[in-house]
This record gives sequence, structure tokens and C-alpha cells, in this order.
Amino acid sequence: MTSHAATMERGRSPERGLGVPTNKLGMWIFLTSEVMFFTGIIGSYIILRFGASDSWAAPGEVLNVTVTAVNTFILICSSVTMVKAFAAIENGDEKMLRIWLLATAIIGASFVGIQLFEYSELIHHGFLPSSGLYGSTFYSMTGFHGFHVTVGVLCILWVTLKAFRGGYTQENHQGVEVIGLYWHFVDLVWIILFTIVYLI
Amino acid sequence: MATITAEPTGVAVVEEEHPLPFIRKYIFSTDHKTIAIQFLFTCLFFLLVGGLLAVMLRYQLGYPGKPMPGGDLLPETMAPGGIILPEFYISLVTMHGTFMVFFAIMPLLVGVYANYLIPLQIGTHDMAFPRLNMWSYWLFFVSGLVMLSSFAVEGGASVAGWTQYAPLSAMPEASGVYAGQQLWMISIAIFGFSSLLGSINYVTTVINLRAPGMTWFRLPLATWSLFITAILGLLAIPVLTAAVIMLLFDQTIGTTFFLPETGGQPLLWQHLFWFFGHPEVYILILPAMGFVSDIIANGSRKPIFGYHSMVFALISIAFLGFIVWGHHMFQSGMNPALAMSFMISTLVIAVPSAIKVFNWMGTMWRGSIQFTPHMLFAVGFVMLFAIGGLSGIFMASTPVDIYIHDTYFIVAHLHYVLFGGSLFAIFAAIYYWFPKMFGRMINDTMGRIHFALTFIFFNLVFFPMHGLGMGGMMRRIYDPSQYEHLAGMQDTNTLVSLSAFALYASGLLFFVMFFWSLFRGKKAPVNPWNATTLEWQVPSPPLHGNWTEIPVVYHGPYEYSHPDMDKDWLSQNERPDVVSPARH
Amino acid sequence: MSEAGKQHPRYMLVFGGLAVLTAIEVTAAFMGFPRSVTIIVLLGLAGWKALLVALYFMHLKWEPRALKVLAAAPLLPAAIMVVVILMEYV
Repeated sequence: MTSHAATMERGRSPERGLGVPTNKLGMWIFLTSEVMFFTGIIGSYIILRFGASDSWAAPGEVLNVTVTAVNTFILICSSVTMVKAFAAIENGDEKMLRIWLLATAIIGASFVGIQLFEYSELIHHGFLPSSGLYGSTFYSMTGFHGFHVTVGVLCILWVTLKAFRGGYTQENHQGVEVIGLYWHFVDLVWIILFTIVYLI
Repeated sequence: MATITAEPTGVAVVEEEHPLPFIRKYIFSTDHKTIAIQFLFTCLFFLLVGGLLAVMLRYQLGYPGKPMPGGDLLPETMAPGGIILPEFYISLVTMHGTFMVFFAIMPLLVGVYANYLIPLQIGTHDMAFPRLNMWSYWLFFVSGLVMLSSFAVEGGASVAGWTQYAPLSAMPEASGVYAGQQLWMISIAIFGFSSLLGSINYVTTVINLRAPGMTWFRLPLATWSLFITAILGLLAIPVLTAAVIMLLFDQTIGTTFFLPETGGQPLLWQHLFWFFGHPEVYILILPAMGFVSDIIANGSRKPIFGYHSMVFALISIAFLGFIVWGHHMFQSGMNPALAMSFMISTLVIAVPSAIKVFNWMGTMWRGSIQFTPHMLFAVGFVMLFAIGGLSGIFMASTPVDIYIHDTYFIVAHLHYVLFGGSLFAIFAAIYYWFPKMFGRMINDTMGRIHFALTFIFFNLVFFPMHGLGMGGMMRRIYDPSQYEHLAGMQDTNTLVSLSAFALYASGLLFFVMFFWSLFRGKKAPVNPWNATTLEWQVPSPPLHGNWTEIPVVYHGPYEYSHPDMDKDWLSQNERPDVVSPARH
Repeated sequence: MSEAGKQHPRYMLVFGGLAVLTAIEVTAAFMGFPRSVTIIVLLGLAGWKALLVALYFMHLKWEPRALKVLAAAPLLPAAIMVVVILMEYV
């Protein structure tokens, strides 16, 4: 082989397994493990409720469906603002990126706030984690989801701060895409949770 | 397809341009090799701890009710007058299993060698996420400390077995252990997080950072096995984390997931735990198989027999491993129809495992075998894993297992696969990669002595347990001599215990030799074993960043003794035209 | 960067779809259908919403097939776990 060929060989890039950039791939892989974590918690609820022969409260008897339905809509809104933020920076619009990111953080925080309010109402009416299987499963499922949302809000705030300092450009905004994936996942889990816990 | 651009990995190969301060270089390092070595020292310590716990419980079994030498050093709550209390005995059993599975074997296989080998074997500078990698080690370290601390709290360490079955594990009033149980759960939850960060790194790195020419079917089997293991971890460990947190809630905030009085289902704990637990045991064996493949090919001077089938066997074992978990529960009162389906899937999983055993044998057949310590341990692995696998066939069959479940037959099986299997492979890996890691050689003769002693005493300890189990000796019991049907076997128990002490002593010999070699071993060359894989093409030990220039790969991983070549090995990045014009 | 990023669906359309589906869900839950019908309808609607989020918001529709497979992969062991354990109680 000539030295020219050898130089060309040296310039070859790594084998790319899936054609997906590394940070994004890492986040997707993390999300697959999160699916299994929520399967553990939500799956246990399904098994305990539909397997064990206890009678559980009918939908709407204990939990406030209306408030939570609104909260579901709110979380979906935050997913929209998140994806609008991503679309903005894809088009190089750093200003709209900041606005949409801030909106996402605020709406996400509202979701958590409303959840906490709902918890305080339930506790006030005597519905606790120790209230049998219903209490155990309700608080662990929504609690872990809420914990994930809170972590998500904190990460979005961090990304927002970086955006305000001009840290993202049209060429380089992987962080926005990656946190977006996490945020949509959290929304997706809630879509399933809301249906199973509040409506069925 | 997307345009492929070379991505900066963020790791520059600088030798002394910006020397890092001691803390960044050795304590909070993001270099995968340093992290691997941190794991190695920590895990060797936990291996010693786990072994010591076994020595103590074996003393009680060999000499029931007698004061243990050194036992008067233990507090009154554990061993008054040096005699181990039943409550302490059961925590010894629990913690021996816990430390060995979570803090010794698993991290020795994965934390050490996935970290050390993957970037080197695939030809890249470091892991995809070096800082996450650092967190993975330190979370592991913290979880180990938390687990150790459970011995020191009031009530002592957990007593519910490493499997932590509810309701015993959920009811402190029943077990007598309060904080110890909670610390177990917290430690394992932190451990799960550490493992998750590691797995994300390993999977992403193998997918995205392979050197040019390093296609999937040119990966060494060590990397393949670590990759598949990481995927198993990603899918199985979160379920354990969820279950452990639910159990912690049962213990602390009044939930009732597993407490039957208030509607909970103890059987659910068993299902959740074993849904994790079975893939976990494949996590404990698959990397061992990968290392053994690399070592046996090298030590036989032949390519691995059936490389592709080895890869597919790894994949099938991992996949099937998700549908066999019920075989740990045949005695639980589970649905018998379910039991039958688990029996069938468990028998099926023996097939890919057997394929691997035959392929190792096929590799060695008519090879030019070098009896180095690593080769001895690797061949020992094949023998002992085969025996462990054979006892597994008995247990796979539900009617047989109903008789031998929770007896010493199971203890024999699990130690043949976890010690004779995984730990032998770990020893092989340590001997094999020590020169690369530390730039020094371990003395061959001492290694062979270590192997001989370990092999002999291992079999003396664990083979008789097959008979003990068939004879009806139950697991986790405190004093076999008080049972009429077991009193006659007390001599066997004593022999097993004496052999166990000798086995531990052999392990201590290894430790001395390991540390001696670190400081006084002969300087190691770049490639002492004439091996083909990429990690042997860099200095011993490698520089920070591994490669000044990313290599290009031209061959598969086991080009030993090719008929066209005069040299009996060809490294993966050697250009074919440079070596022999006849090769393509 | 990849061309996949350049494809942006009409996000507000998807948002509208999600909002409508949510409203239908909440109504359907209290319509008094037979229990199994309610469950199937609700799970179907929830699944549809989840798919919309995954395909459009998470961009899966335009990602390489291998990533779609990776994303869907954990659903299999998850389903196995829940279904098999449920069989204990059936």
C-alpha cells in the first residue's frame, strides 16, 4: 500500500453501529432501563390489583380525576413546548429556544406543584401510603413518576441557563435534544399511568 | 444513511503536557483503566470479606456449637464466648452471599474488565461517558460501605438470605433485624444505580466507538460477552431496584406490597426478585465465558472453534435467561402449569451453554497448549462449569427440584458455576491481563501452585455437597448434628469445613503473590502472550488515551496459526500485505 | 448532523391529537361500558397517545430502524414479566 492509502486509512472514522450520535444513543439506552424500572413498579400494581382478589376503589371514588386530567393536559403542553424549543434551535433561533425552554420548565414545575397539592388533599382525607395496597401502589407509582419529573425540571433549568448564556447553536445543540428525549419519556409514562391509575 | 463524521471523544493523548493533580489522576479519575483498577482493589477486598464470612459459617457447620478460634474477638451479640449464635450464623450466610454476588464476582467481571478491556479491545481512547464512569465506581464504593456498616448497627446485619424473601425481610418484628435490613436495601439500590451507569457506558461505547474495520464479527469474545452482559444488566437490574425500594417502603412507611396480613403478596417478591435474579446469574457467567474464550484461543494457538456460534450462543443464553426465572420457585406453591413452562425453557437453555463447552474443547483439540496459570484456570473453568451445568439439568426438572430445592445440592451447583466457573475465570483474567494492567509479570510457578491448591480444595469443599444435599441436608441451617438424618454425615461436614479453611488459605496466598508481583514482578513486555487482540498492541501499561493514533482493524480476533503465515499469530491491526502477500 | 433532524412534523397537530384523545379517554372512562370494554378502549387510547409522543415528539419516525428496535426492545421482557406473573393468579 502506498503512504497515501495509509493516510486515508488513518482518516477513517469509527464504525458507527446505529448511525446515531453518541449522547443521543446513551440517553435512549438509559430510557430502556427506565422502562424496566417503571415496569417493576407499575407491573406490580397491575398484578396486585388484577391478580389479588381484593376489591379496590372504583375510578373517581378516592382520586380526583378532573384535576389530574387537567394536569395530564398540562404535562402534554410542556412536551409541546419542549419540542418547539428543539425545532427552534434546529433552525438556529436561539431566542425562541430560550423562551420555549423556560416555558417547559415553568409548566413542568406546575405539574409537580399540582401533584403535591393533590397529595396534600388526599393525605388530609386519610389516604396514605399505609392505606392498604391501593395507598401503597398509588403513592409509589405517582411518587416515582413525580420524582422523575422533578429531576427533569432541574435538568431543563440547567439547559435553559446554558441557553441563556448562548451555549447552544444550530450546529451544536445535542444537550437540548437529549434532555427533550428524557422529558418526552416522562410524559409518555404519565400517559400510561394516568390511564391505569385514575381511569381504570 | 446519515453522514458519518469522526466525533471527538474529548480525551487527548497527552503524556506530560498537563500533568493532572494526584486526586484527579488516581482518586477521581475518569480514565477507564484507572477506574478498572480501583474496582479491582476494592473487589479483591470484598472477596476476602466474603471468604472470611464463609470460613466462619463453615466453622460452625464443621464444629457445631464449639468456640471458634478468634471468636472471642467478636462482640457478645454475635458470638458469646466465641460460639457463633444462630442469629449471627444466619446473617453470615446472608452476607456471604450478598458480598460475593454483588461486591465481589459481579464487579470483578464487569466493573474491572468491562472498564479495562472494552476501549482497548475495540480500539478507542476511553469510554463514551468518562465522567459517568467515575460516578459508577464511587457509587459502588459507597454502596459497599453501606453494606459493611450493616454489621455494626444494633440488631446486626440482614438475616433474610441474599434472596431477601418476604415476609421475613419486610418484618423486623419477625427477623429481629431493624436497621440492618434497611441498610441492605439502601446499599443495593445505590449499587443498582452504579451498575446502570456502567451498563450505559459499555453498550454505547461498543456500538459507537469501534475503530475502523472493527466490525461486529471481528470483536473479541471478551467484548461481545461484556456487551451482552451490559444489556442484561440494563433490563434486569431496574426491576430489582424497584422491588428493593418497594420492600424498603414495606419496612419503613407502612406500605404492604409483600405483607400478607394487609393484602400483600410474598410470592410477588419472589417473582420480581428472580425476574432480576436469573438474568443476574447470566451476568455472572457470560463475561467469564468471554474471557475464557480469549484465553483458550491464545493458550492453544488456535482460533476459537465456531466463533459465530459462540456469539449466537451468548445472545441466546441472554435471551432465554429472561424466561426461566421460575425454576428458582418450584417449591413456592406457584401455578404448576407455569412451572412446567419454566422447566422446558430451563432445559432448553442448556443447549447454547453446551455448545460453548464443546467449542472450547474444539479449540483446544490438537492445539499447542501452553500451561500458563491463566490457561490452567481457563481449562479448569471449562471442567468445573460443565459439572455445575450438569447438576443444573437435575434441578431444571421440576419433580427432581422439589426434592432437592433448598438443600446442599443447590449449594454445590451454585458454587461450581460461581466459583469453579466465574471465580476461576476471574483468576484466569487476572493472570492474563496483569502484565498489561501493571507492566509486571506474575511468577508462573507461584501461579501454578495457586491453581493446584485452589482446584484440589475447591473440589474437596463442594463436590461432597452434592451427596449431602441428596441426603437431605437443608440450606442455611445452623447445626446439622441436631437432626437425626444428618448426624451421620457430620464427618463429611467437618471434612468440607477443613478443606474450606485450606481453600481460603490458598486465596490468601494468591493475595500475597498479587501484591508482591505489583512491586517486585519482572517488567512485562508489550505482548507477553503473543496475543492477537488490540489491547496487546499498546504499551504495558497503556498511556492515558490508549492510542496516539486510532488503529485500523484488518482481521478477526483469533488469527493464530494461519497456514499461510510463518509467525503463529497475527494481531488485529497488522496490515496483511506487510505480513504475507498471499493473504487477502 | 443528520438529515433526520431536519424533518419536523406539524407539532401543533400532534398536540391537538393528544388533547382530543385525552378528552375522549376521560369521557369513555365514565360512560358505563362493560368493564372489559372500558379497559380495552382506555388502554388502546393510551397506547395511541404514547405512540404519538414516541414517534413524533421523540422523533423515532425519522430515526434509523435500529434505534426504533432498541426503543421497542424493553417492551418484550416487560410484557413477559407482567403476563407471566399474572398467570399466578388466573
